[in-house]
Amino acid sequence: MSIFVPMRDQAVSVSELTYAIKGLLEEGIGDVLVSGEISNFKEHSSGHRYFTLKDADAQIGAVMWRTRSLTFRPEDGMRVVVRGRLSVYPPQGKYQIDCSAMRPEGVGDLHRAFEQLREALRVRGLFDADRKKPIPHRPRSVGIATSQTGAALQDMLSTIHRRFPLLDVVFRPTLVQGEGAAEDIARAIAELDAAKLDVLIIGRGGGSLEDLWSFNTEAVAMAIANARTPVISAVGHETDVTIADFVADARAETPTAAAVMVTPITVDDLLEALDARQQDMTRTMCDRMEDMLQLAESFVDGRAARRVTERIHLRQQRVDELVSRSSRAVRHHTTFLKQHIDHTALYLTSLHPLAPLRRGFAVIERNGIVLAPSDHVQPGDTLTVQRFTESSTVNVQSVSDPTILPPPTPHHGNESEIPNA
Amino acid sequence: MATKAKSQTLEDKLKRLEEVASLLDRGEAPIDEQLAMYEEGMRLAQECRTYLEEAELKVRRLSGEPDESDD
Repeated sequence: MSIFVPMRDQAVSVSELTYAIKGLLEEGIGDVLVSGEISNFKEHSSGHRYFTLKDADAQIGAVMWRTRSLTFRPEDGMRVVVRGRLSVYPPQGKYQIDCSAMRPEGVGDLHRAFEQLREALRVRGLFDADRKKPIPHRPRSVGIATSQTGAALQDMLSTIHRRFPLLDVVFRPTLVQGEGAAEDIARAIAELDAAKLDVLIIGRGGGSLEDLWSFNTEAVAMAIANARTPVISAVGHETDVTIADFVADARAETPTAAAVMVTPITVDDLLEALDARQQDMTRTMCDRMEDMLQLAESFVDGRAARRVTERIHLRQQRVDELVSRSSRAVRHHTTFLKQHIDHTALYLTSLHPLAPLRRGFAVIERNGIVLAPSDHVQPGDTLTVQRFTESSTVNVQSVSDPTILPPPTPHHGNESEIPNA
Repeated sequence: MATKAKSQTLEDKLKRLEEVASLLDRGEAPIDEQLAMYEEGMRLAQECRTYLEEAELKVRRLSGEPDESDD
């Protein structure tokens, strides 16, 4: 089996044996994922970290080079999971784990690491209120970074669809837990930031502190801090708090709540506003018709009244066209206006000087001017009497009190009150 | 007077609608112009309404992880 069997006569050198062991261990075992407790942790002045991983019955040396990033400060007694390669160091005849990544494992250790990172970032000013960018009042576009398969994505998309489907949504699928998730989320934030959207949402559904761990890393915290786009953090449920929540410009309690934050104005709000606007405009036009009535009442000149009547008829026609062309919602408003204009026309027709003439009344003029009710007639005046079919000139012989009661003075304001001309 | 471009966005239309409504409210224009504004306002409101009622959510996708790029 082996070339190193004791029965073999020829001795090998220590180096030969060591390199044979190195080959066996490094190729035979290679990549490892090991859980254990840290002891003898030392950070050398070079920045490299040396420590021992142990459990109740065994221990193994470990090294983590300066270039490998750590998301927390390891301490003796902490339970961690390290990823790395088994390697042999021939000068000392020692084997050790060359660690590429390390994360705390126990719940207590996760909490400790969380507090450490939170404090470090706080000192660097990443949570300062004056760093927070405002969430736009009416975003047109949103970038979403979350798992493609999670409920969080469906919750957000269905909420946006229901509230404001006009929002431009850009989705960047990401890992949200496990190896490489923190780095992937950080990359996703940078990519979405480069897409120049109005606001970003990063998040995932609820989970254990370990599940949410990616959002408690320096990589994600820095990506949020470096983004020029406002970021909303929507991780887990109401009670879950992550480092991402502290760095983000706003925190949403759930992914659905984040979707509500980016759709502050809904389609229903806009439809309601449009309806109110149409009602306002119709009411205003009705008011204008009222104004025209009052204006028409003040006319004594028959030709002017006739012009107003013609204009009202033109308007009736245009509103008729508008009503027939428009949809039901608009018709509801314009029909109201049309009735109002019809009514105005009816009233103005009754004001028209020709209308009473047809019924036997006459217009009396003196020196070409229509006599107003307040004008007085003197014996000897020459008057012109305009009737429907003829005009005559008469001389006044005598003046006395009226023998018939005058009609009540027309008062505008009540639509049913059409005066007797 | 704003030009009535065919490719007016919803935003443009809402803005013009507000403009027309406030002009109408001021009531300084001759009555015929006011009626034309009323007509324009009602048309704009109706176009916005139709647009909003027919809106569908569109989601654009950035590639992300290679093992998820199945679209």
